[in-house]
Amino acid sequence: MHEVTRLLNAIEQGDPQAAEQLLPLVYGELRRQAARKLAQERPGQTLDATALVHEAYLRLVGDGASGWQSRGHFFAAAAEAMRRILVERARRKKRLKHGGGLRRVPLDGVRAAAGAPSDDLLALDEALAQLAEEDPVKARLVELRFFAGLSVEDAARCLGISRATADRYWAYARAWLYEKVRAGEKSENR
Amino acid sequence: MTDDPNRLEAIFAAALAKGSPEERAAYLDEVCAGDAELRRRLQALLQAHDDAGSFLEKPAIATGVTTDAPAGQWIDRDAPPAPAEGPGTRIGPYKLLQQIGEGGMGIVYMAEQQEPIRRMVALKVIKAGMDSAQVVARFEAERQALALMDHQNIARIFDGGATESGRPYFVMELVKGIPITRFCDQNRLTPRERLELFVPVCQAVQHAHQKGVIHRDLKPSNVLVTLYDSKPVPKVIDFGVAKALHQKLTERTMFTAFGAVVGTLEYMSPEQAELNALDVDTRSDVYSLGVLLYELLTGATPLDRKRLGQAAYAEVLRLIREEEPPRPSTRLSGSGEALARISAHRKTEPAQLARLVRGELDWIAMKSLEKDRGRRYDTASALARDVEHYLKDEPVEARLPSVSYLLRKFVRRNKGRVIAAGMLAGMLFLVVGLVLYGRLVGGAAVGRAASRASLDRGAQQRCVQGDSRPDRGRSQVSTACRSRRLDRTSRQTDR
Repeated sequence: MHEVTRLLNAIEQGDPQAAEQLLPLVYGELRRQAARKLAQERPGQTLDATALVHEAYLRLVGDGASGWQSRGHFFAAAAEAMRRILVERARRKKRLKHGGGLRRVPLDGVRAAAGAPSDDLLALDEALAQLAEEDPVKARLVELRFFAGLSVEDAARCLGISRATADRYWAYARAWLYEKVRAGEKSENR
Repeated sequence: MTDDPNRLEAIFAAALAKGSPEERAAYLDEVCAGDAELRRRLQALLQAHDDAGSFLEKPAIATGVTTDAPAGQWIDRDAPPAPAEGPGTRIGPYKLLQQIGEGGMGIVYMAEQQEPIRRMVALKVIKAGMDSAQVVARFEAERQALALMDHQNIARIFDGGATESGRPYFVMELVKGIPITRFCDQNRLTPRERLELFVPVCQAVQHAHQKGVIHRDLKPSNVLVTLYDSKPVPKVIDFGVAKALHQKLTERTMFTAFGAVVGTLEYMSPEQAELNALDVDTRSDVYSLGVLLYELLTGATPLDRKRLGQAAYAEVLRLIREEEPPRPSTRLSGSGEALARISAHRKTEPAQLARLVRGELDWIAMKSLEKDRGRRYDTASALARDVEHYLKDEPVEARLPSVSYLLRKFVRRNKGRVIAAGMLAGMLFLVVGLVLYGRLVGGAAVGRAASRASLDRGAQQRCVQGDSRPDRGRSQVSTACRSRRLDRTSRQTDR
């Protein structure tokens, strides 16, 4: 717990190595928590990302961290860790699936029963990576909201932008990603 | 520019804010005037916005049951957990034996290759959990950078692939060696021998530059010395933060928004220490080579490691950018008690070491370490060449700032006094000239001339004996002496 607080402080000072060290710690913690929850959950229920991340926060940082600067770093790490965990699982599931049939299901509104959420996630992951190349702040915003379950308000604070800006960026990023993912589907189903 | 994301976003937001489709269309017409590509892009984005529905609105894993769950139920309780790598496990045809290194994003193992040939190799794999697209891109760039190179002083790459869980790895030549500084110390290499080992390192870096790769993290632990036929051979490894010059490489780490810096602090060039350094070129590696040279000669880095360790991060960057390091010979002279150990490592008498380094080796090191990269060696091979000149007792290109340069600076600092001195010198010459003229013209002046000449001579003698106080110009005689002495020295040293 102290380790994470120390790292957060080091990051505030601008130490890039601390930033790199934070991710594996957060990642490890989230993984452990997810595994525990899995062992406990009743079948059919899903896991709550937001709860996981906030629990991890409490566990790793406690009441130590004060402002949104440090919280921002933590949640950024948590969001990225969450993303990694999901993508890893998605990749594995995809590999295990025999024949790798791309029964691609569009991302909006369709019941997940068709059973290929891994493809969706991977497509999103890829699109997000492309967005990050052009516009890291918006990509980070999406990560914070989608993978760490933060509200627009909280995500804005983490990023150090205004709520209004965050709303705008969110609208734009969603459209951008949706377009990318949809274009990807189209080219695959050809 | 069509591709400017902020501009796109601003127009997008404004268009969205319009009340009706007609207003929106009119706005777009106005803003995109003539730029069809821009219009098309915005149209596509706006359409996507309208179609997106609840895309991404629910976080990746939702509480309870939702109707549109973007990533749905991701937990597959039957899927086995990813096998962890470690000594004893296999990745492809490679059996991992022992971990030999760990960096920010990857782990290096010593491994045994079994097919198609049996040999020992080094295998570098991305750490679990680090395989974000950006890190993977960086990793892949490193692999590609290494694959481009073909030099006996650069670790060779053999193979690449991905683990079962999709994490990339690559396989390279196993270099069983130790960092160059430690090697030199352990084997008590003389300064000359160290220089002989340093030259191929520069050449290796030059090779990389010619292949379009800047290393950006040159330091002793990335230059390993190994023995081939009992001859020491340096090898440059770990192009982990290398940057491809000609390809667009996404190097942004997690905290781009806060300014990311790559490289290790003591060896980082001043331009790398600028927080948003995108314009780092091959001369940055030249700087790092300069630091290495400095350390090989003096046993310490130009910017004192301890001091760097104590300062706050922002302060460290400032030091790298602004603080002028002492010359190697000065550093050696100021080593105090450590000098005995340092010279023992260099198999040289303590008294001799600073003297050996003073002069040309000083100049070569300091030229590589210039804050202004325009004043450094242009290329790593230029640096190597100058070192070779030194080794062959040939003239060296590097110079300390010339005396005329120093003089100019001096004059600028002390305009007033220099003018006064100039005037006095002028008057003196005038007087002497008149006296000589007088002698030529008539003997009557001889007596007076003789006495004045002896006065001058006396004054000169007093000069020579040494009024060496630099800027005090107390007597007319001393300022005149000083300027005369300066003239004399500048004549000597201008070659």
